[in-house]
Amino acid sequence: MKNRLKVLRAERDWSQQDLARRLEVSRQSVNAIETGRYDPSLPLAFRIAALFEMPIEDIFIPD
Amino acid sequence: MVASFAVIAGLRSSGAINEPTGFILLALAMLQMIPLVRAGLAHQRETGHLSPAVLRYTRRFMGATFGYVLGMGLAVMLHERMGLSGPEAFAIALLPVLPVFAMIWAMGRYLVEEDDEFLRHRATLASLFGLGVVLALGSFWGFLETFGVVPHIWAWWTFPVWAIGMGVSQGWMAWRDRAGGEE
Repeated sequence: MKNRLKVLRAERDWSQQDLARRLEVSRQSVNAIETGRYDPSLPLAFRIAALFEMPIEDIFIPD
Repeated sequence: MVASFAVIAGLRSSGAINEPTGFILLALAMLQMIPLVRAGLAHQRETGHLSPAVLRYTRRFMGATFGYVLGMGLAVMLHERMGLSGPEAFAIALLPVLPVFAMIWAMGRYLVEEDDEFLRHRATLASLFGLGVVLALGSFWGFLETFGVVPHIWAWWTFPVWAIGMGVSQGWMAWRDRAGGEE
């Protein structure tokens, strides 16, 4: 699954560590999600959507 | 630390030191793990990879590891000096085994307590990889042993082989993460 996490993060001038802290996950998790190596669970996807105040489908795009 | 273990094993096998001295030196060499583990935790903290569950797991596993070294040393010493058998031998076998159970429990608790789903996912994959290594090597070795190609090995090797498999898997995934362009 593709995602726009890196772009959304860059727009806010957040580092991976900043985003990780806001989501209460490790920086490894943010990196793995951003690079498409790990698809987050539904609860984490909702947390990400809530943080960016966007619908999930505007952040995560199915292949 | 590995070099220390090798030197102690060499001294012990050459007869330069006796059994209790070897045991005490081994226990002291184990203390080198403390700064190593602390450095590892500090690095994880700096890079934002340290979760509370990892900290708890490390403390539990370290405690169990020291228990294992003490238990194994005592069990081997008692067995060689007293030639125990039957219920007594069963009892001394528990000395190193109970800490091994504690290590397995610590790993299980880590999977339960880790809130970070990606870290939990990685730890689960690494455990399964370690299990695959044990099953593959165990089956292969078992048949080689059946047909007289290799000597018999003790079943307690399963745990270290599993742990090595898990460590290799974790190392490979960490390398892949770095190669994947972590900022």
